[in-house]
Amino acid sequence: MEAVKAWSLSLQWQQPLKLLFSPESVRAIRLQKIEELRSKGLEPYAYRWDRTHSANQLQETYRNLENGEEVNSEKDHVSIAGRIVARRAFGKLAFLTLRDDSGTIQLYCEKGRLVSDQFEQLKNLVDIGDILGELSVYVNSFAILTKSLLPLPDKFHGLTHVDKRYRQRYLDMISNPEVADVFRKRAKIVSELRKTVESFGFLEVETPVLQGAAGGAEARPFVTYHNSLGRDLYLRIATELHLKRMLVFEIVVEPKLLQPTFVLDYPVEISPLAKRHRRHAGLTERFELFICGRELGNAFSELTDPVDQRGRLEEQIRQHNKKREEAKSETDSAEEKKKDNNDDDDEEESYEVTLDDDFLTALEYGMPPASGMGIGIDRLVMLLTNAVSIRDVIAFPVPKNQE
Amino acid sequence: MADSVDQATKSVSDLSVDSPSSETISKNARKKELKNKQKEEERRRKEEEKAKQAAVTASSHAKKSATADDEDMDPTQYFENRLKYLAFQKTEGQNPYPHKFFVSLSIPEYIETYGGLSNGEHQEDVSLSLAGRIMSKRSSSSKLFFYDLHGGGAKVQVMVDASKSDMDEAEFSKFHSSVKRGDIVGVTGFPGKTKRGELSIFPKSFLVLSHCLHMMPRQKAASGSENANLKKTEAWVPGSTRNPETYILKDQETRYRQRYLDLMVNSEVRQIFKTRTKIISYIRRFLDNLDFLEVETPMMNMIAGGAAARPFVTHHNDLNMKLYMRIAPELYLKELVVGGLERVYEIGKQFRNEGIDLTHNPEFTTCEFYMAFADYNDLMDITEKLLSGMVNELTGGYKIKYHANGLDKDPIEIDFTPPFRRIDMIEELEKIANLNIPKDLASDEANKYLKDACVRYEIKCAPPETTARLLDKLVGHFLEETCVNPTFIINHPEIMSPLAKWHRSKPGLTERFELFINKHELANAYTELNDPVVQRQRFAEQLKDRASGDDEAMALDETFCTALEYGLPPTGGWGLGIDRLAMLFTDSQNIKEVLLFPAMKPQEEAPTKVAAA
Repeated sequence: MEAVKAWSLSLQWQQPLKLLFSPESVRAIRLQKIEELRSKGLEPYAYRWDRTHSANQLQETYRNLENGEEVNSEKDHVSIAGRIVARRAFGKLAFLTLRDDSGTIQLYCEKGRLVSDQFEQLKNLVDIGDILGELSVYVNSFAILTKSLLPLPDKFHGLTHVDKRYRQRYLDMISNPEVADVFRKRAKIVSELRKTVESFGFLEVETPVLQGAAGGAEARPFVTYHNSLGRDLYLRIATELHLKRMLVFEIVVEPKLLQPTFVLDYPVEISPLAKRHRRHAGLTERFELFICGRELGNAFSELTDPVDQRGRLEEQIRQHNKKREEAKSETDSAEEKKKDNNDDDDEEESYEVTLDDDFLTALEYGMPPASGMGIGIDRLVMLLTNAVSIRDVIAFPVPKNQE
Repeated sequence: MADSVDQATKSVSDLSVDSPSSETISKNARKKELKNKQKEEERRRKEEEKAKQAAVTASSHAKKSATADDEDMDPTQYFENRLKYLAFQKTEGQNPYPHKFFVSLSIPEYIETYGGLSNGEHQEDVSLSLAGRIMSKRSSSSKLFFYDLHGGGAKVQVMVDASKSDMDEAEFSKFHSSVKRGDIVGVTGFPGKTKRGELSIFPKSFLVLSHCLHMMPRQKAASGSENANLKKTEAWVPGSTRNPETYILKDQETRYRQRYLDLMVNSEVRQIFKTRTKIISYIRRFLDNLDFLEVETPMMNMIAGGAAARPFVTHHNDLNMKLYMRIAPELYLKELVVGGLERVYEIGKQFRNEGIDLTHNPEFTTCEFYMAFADYNDLMDITEKLLSGMVNELTGGYKIKYHANGLDKDPIEIDFTPPFRRIDMIEELEKIANLNIPKDLASDEANKYLKDACVRYEIKCAPPETTARLLDKLVGHFLEETCVNPTFIINHPEIMSPLAKWHRSKPGLTERFELFINKHELANAYTELNDPVVQRQRFAEQLKDRASGDDEAMALDETFCTALEYGLPPTGGWGLGIDRLAMLFTDSQNIKEVLLFPAMKPQEEAPTKVAAA
């Protein structure tokens, strides 16, 4: 290779000139460069690239080089690929910083060492943001794999506009490498959960997202329509999340539960699917796990008595319909005041809830004593990545403000 | 981390052990005990033999009485009686639904541990607890009952003898007459084998944990063939054939609408879903080993992009915004590759608002992966490794059997031995159908030529007759029909592939492949188009097809095009239909066979409380 231990010299360098150009003019200039590349028979959008190393692997392999030391045997000829995130050139010398999935590495480009006229190409046609493949760290040759048309956010670490970060998550990741770590950790967390339950002998299954009836009375479902069946379908909801709102308890106690804490034995009224407590009348065998004042998990001994279950679901529907009636009469009386003011809280109960007879019939065939548990993955990831907002742990959150 | 998982697992399994396990008793001690009990054993054997004899002679009679008990009664009446029985228990202050029963062994573990007992051997010094569902009940007298206890895909006999019970005789016979086929019970007793060699448990206590309030489906034929069916189905392995028409519960509507009954009585069905899980976990392991990152992208979007299909529409109340259910995760996953995640995949549901038939469900599961610096040639190699490796792990070989021509015809053999056949789409179509398609496929001339070809071969194409749709029909007729063993159809025209990169050496074509197995498309992949200028042009052409009435043409996604302008590295992208793969490996001709809860057409009446067999 030609690997030098000079990589740490200039990782955070920026290119001030870029500030002078608007994204539109940069785009126009770069489209011209694409033309120029093609006129030279070079494809600005390559088909594939063989890598021998990731940036991080190189850093590891050649960690022991002395400052200024080079190794240049056949086996040290390496090939890497990634995005150019920094660049500076003077005379016959250029330094590029290349970033791939694993990290960054500095590329040392000397006119004399590059094949044919590649140094001129490098100076004129390579921009920050381009994706390059390089055959060594002391660069012998390079190829543009993908020409970038738009300038990266002005400051190398400078994409701070929150909404833009979520809408253009890829820019967020290019500008703030630690963002990608959140999603690496997320994958790891889910994978560990999966491994754990599999080791207990659980079978992972898939159940429908689209359902014929709104599952529970607790949350307002998304509604859609199936053309060929000619009927409304409801998107499944997480049960019982909304019931908790009824708890005065939540306001008083939950914020104080910083250390992992099980809150036990919730009242029957707010636990329509949990089994009655074996000793305490009016309560259920249920717990919620709180960490840092937030609910992370919810679990209970499952209600298996179909008669009790039917009674509770019917009661839920009665309550729902009562609220619906009230809301309706309120809306009617408020209608003369303002007609379009009724689309928020007033409509909270406006959807219809039906008794899930199929579920009750299944219970009538007998369900063994069982317990069930739900864990909120997003909140768990927030906790383990020190994230403030749920939007930080979801790759593409629903944008809050529509333009 | 692995350690802590193991420890956690152990502590969880310990939860279900209520007493020192029988395994802690040394073999010698056990032998000694047995010797001491030999006389007692002898006596028991005689008794049991007598009882068994009685059971056998009484069995035809018992069968009849059970029939009278369970099947001659009006289902509604049966249900009412059971409800009354429950209500009575509650008024007596008993809880008919116990909160917890400690299980010391699963039924398969029980069989494994005690299957080696010799005929007539009993281990009265051992006490253990099993739980499961009663699938068969026989009695020879009011003092002796035999049950088949099912759980974990296996069954064991429960032999309850009044003289061994904690209850007095009257109590005993009253209690056991209330135990019904379908009830979930927990029994605590000792292991042993009958003289005829049937492994059994001989309980001292017997507890109903959950009541079956309805009649269970029962095979109309004699109990002998029921057992034969069970034995046969337990031998089922992925890649071999099966025949749902021989199931105890055959009625398709009931099987799909009340899947729990299907799982309860048709033992093969649980293997189907285990196979499905294994397929997904194999893919996940395969990709994880290649350093892919599993991610989640949104199911609800402002634009339904990444494929051409009718989407489901929904509405977000708070934002007062129309949203579409995703039809493919493709565009988001590519945006993540732009962001620097060089290898990503997602396994999840897609939604398409189309008709329900043998191969289509409104929601279905796919795996898509995106791999920077790879092209479609790399992906063909990966596909061969993934699928042949999977078939090998699931079946032990490379060939599977599948009833491609219906259950009444012999199954075909599908060979996954790599490499798979590769056929060049246009080249091969011209050869087989004797065509000479104009090179400029976007031209009117090409459109007319293909229209004429369809007419000549009597191939119907519903309007609009766009060139892409005409080609699709011709390829379906001439090429896909030949793809029984896994086959890559490669190099699709640009007009059919708006997200695939133009071919590096064949003008007008793309670097794309579709994998066909048994004439059905299983996977679709390409070198990703990453030139934003060309991508915009392709979207514009799709828009033209849309204008001509093809509402399955792809919509322009401006957000995605902008992402491409920041630079997508050379990337290979790949998608696979999990449901269809699961169908192949489980000899399923209907997608509903591999979906736990398939979408069903609305039915007028409530689900059948009693499922007809």
